[in-house]
Amino acid sequence: MPYKYYGGVHPDYAKTAAKTPVKPIAPPKQVVLPMVQHIGAPDQPTVKVGDTVTVGQVIGVNDAPVSAPIHATVSGKVVAVEPRRHMLGDMVVSVVIENDFQDTPCEDMKPLSEAELKDPDAIIKRIREAGVVGMGGAMFPTAFKIQGARGKIDSLVINGAECEPYLCGDHRTMLEHPEELLKGIELVRIAHGLDKCYYGIEKNKQDAIDLLMSFDPAKYGVEIVPEEVKYPQGAEKLQVKANTNREVKPGGLPSGVGANVVSTYTCYTIYRACYEGVPSIERVVTVAGDCVSEAQNLLVRFGTPLEHIFAEAGADMDKVERICMGGPMMGICVADPAAGSIKGASGLLLFSSDMNRESETPTCIRCGNCIAHCPMKLEPMYMYMYVQKGDIRKMEEYHVMDCFECGSCSWGCPGRLPLTHTFKLGKAMINAHRAEEKAKAEAAKINAAVAAEKAKMAAEGKEAGA
Amino acid sequence: MEEKKLFKVTSNPIVRTPRDTGRIMLDVIIALVPALGVGAYMFGLNVAVLLAVNVAACVFFEWGYRKLLKKNTSVGDLSAVVTGMLLTCVMPSSAPWWVGLIGSFFAIVVVKQLYGGIGKNFLNPALAGRAFLTAAYAAYMTNWAVPGAMRGVVDGTSMATPLSYMHAGEALPEYYNFLNMFLGGIPGSIGEISTLAILIGAAYLLIRKVITWRIPAAFIGTVAVLTLIFGCEGYGRVDWMLYNLLSGGLMLGAFFMATDYSTSPVNLKGQLLYGVGCGAITVLIRYFGSYPEGVSYAILIMNCCTWAIDKAMRPRQFGVSKEDIKAKKAAAKEAKKKAKEGAA
Repeated sequence: MPYKYYGGVHPDYAKTAAKTPVKPIAPPKQVVLPMVQHIGAPDQPTVKVGDTVTVGQVIGVNDAPVSAPIHATVSGKVVAVEPRRHMLGDMVVSVVIENDFQDTPCEDMKPLSEAELKDPDAIIKRIREAGVVGMGGAMFPTAFKIQGARGKIDSLVINGAECEPYLCGDHRTMLEHPEELLKGIELVRIAHGLDKCYYGIEKNKQDAIDLLMSFDPAKYGVEIVPEEVKYPQGAEKLQVKANTNREVKPGGLPSGVGANVVSTYTCYTIYRACYEGVPSIERVVTVAGDCVSEAQNLLVRFGTPLEHIFAEAGADMDKVERICMGGPMMGICVADPAAGSIKGASGLLLFSSDMNRESETPTCIRCGNCIAHCPMKLEPMYMYMYVQKGDIRKMEEYHVMDCFECGSCSWGCPGRLPLTHTFKLGKAMINAHRAEEKAKAEAAKINAAVAAEKAKMAAEGKEAGA
Repeated sequence: MEEKKLFKVTSNPIVRTPRDTGRIMLDVIIALVPALGVGAYMFGLNVAVLLAVNVAACVFFEWGYRKLLKKNTSVGDLSAVVTGMLLTCVMPSSAPWWVGLIGSFFAIVVVKQLYGGIGKNFLNPALAGRAFLTAAYAAYMTNWAVPGAMRGVVDGTSMATPLSYMHAGEALPEYYNFLNMFLGGIPGSIGEISTLAILIGAAYLLIRKVITWRIPAAFIGTVAVLTLIFGCEGYGRVDWMLYNLLSGGLMLGAFFMATDYSTSPVNLKGQLLYGVGCGAITVLIRYFGSYPEGVSYAILIMNCCTWAIDKAMRPRQFGVSKEDIKAKKAAAKEAKKKAKEGAA
């Protein structure tokens, strides 16, 4: 039985793609692979213009622990290594590969042996080599996450909530690859050195729950937990709460309460890396929104320009006002559709101006919805007020830093306040303030040391003079 | 090179609930229809006149004030319409139309707009308007017309409300029975007489999740418990409690006035305390006040406490246990003590 938690909202789920099988799209003529597809240090390109690459060949690495290598997703020739527009807006060094449509495979990565599939170190090594990152959208390098939690935790939670509206990639993966998915979860469990783990799935995926149950999950050390349908069920802290009844401390990580969370598609990617020797080169992307006549689940190779995906999906681009990467609640708007798709893009949503409910004159009417919806039990309307005033002390008192930007407050705000956006600004203000205070303290320390030194020298001088 | 089309960027969430302020206010308007309908049926044409004047005046003042000060127009959120309807609900049907006009001016301009408009006022505009009118035009505001259902049963065209009898400690005349008080066949303010009509509207608001049960339940519950405990000479305890619940606009106040967003606490525990406060002050006024009617003043008094309640009853953050808070308080105390010792 899942444990209950406070708050949350029930947006229009619009999971119209739930019954649509995953369909691979025609590969593009060119892929644009940015060297930033994870949280942490950016990769350095290991190929140069004119090189011939194969599918799955490493094209970018960084030795820093918090990073993940990037692999070629098509075979062909490298035509450019230069800054290109990233999905998230910045100009980022990217490797552009001209597709030769041969799909020549790279032989570097072999499936793991029977013995290696039972060895946590071998699995973690493979996860790192395969460039696996948190596929739920956070893009945190999975190998580092597991390494950090190993030995410290007793509860592993696999996140199958898929609580964001529109998105159906995890749901389809459960339905189309149930056994592979369970094997992937088993690998993650072994990598953590645990005997058992929870798999939290929202009840709106009952068909997937039934199917997975028919494969005897207990055999893989997996306990399936059907969860309440509520956004943001899939948030890390709430998954931990729902499955283990432990609350992550403000500012803390799940490992602080002996838990770790790994998402569904990450487990499936790990299965493919370990059992099939295929690195992280593609994923299911749900393409939906009111500018797409039929919502679809497309198997997309990373680096595919968004324009190509939209053309394949038959989207009406003239109607589109906003492109959303990820789900509509926590997703990020993409300005330039020439950017290449990245590992964290679980959905691409195309919305017309009909879906834009922002207001030019946002007005708080004190309805209290934001407080009733905040899963962190914060007080968004007061936080908003203090951020607007720029009152750092009050912002800290009202825990602006503990907002994880799920968007529930803004979603339910009848006065259309830009609450979530304002908290992002507030956090930046607090961080800047803290950095400033730290610098001031350092400066004071140095000044004091210098003054002490001077006094000492003066005293010595006097002594010497006397 | 052709300029490439870039798409609009907004912050998350990209989607929002279709329920905006205007839709919520429309729900309140719908919920007020039964109560005002019974009022019009019982008291006749003047109710329609008052309603039209109040609504039109509230909307006009809201529009005019903001136009004059070059602020954005806010009449589209329908909150001024709600204020006009609520003000009508708490006025006697015999009041002349210009009294409504003055009340509307006070409610919208003085109470609401001078503080910054919707969400910023600290007093309920309709109740403050009524309080002002009661002070300024006491004769008009306490002249209770006999409802249609009672004509022929009693002589004359105006008479006292049940609360006036109860306040004076007199026994209620027999036509003030529970059925008449429940359905609306008694004298009183336009929107307060029919408990049934108010409950229908309240049920709609609760189903549409415009209001929650907290404030009304705490309010009505407190009045019920206190009147049951203290009772009144000459009345059965339960009868006395029921008379108190069915009279004096308690239901209207609890469901439509005390739940006003701008003037009630937003924190859930605070809402309970606020409701209990409203109930307790209502009973205090009814027992000890020189004025028979307690609900509107009780709510206005608690309106003034709203910000203090919100500050005092903050929710416990996710991941913070009661022990954590205790430990933090103890640490703060220790630090204070140390600082004091250090100073000494």
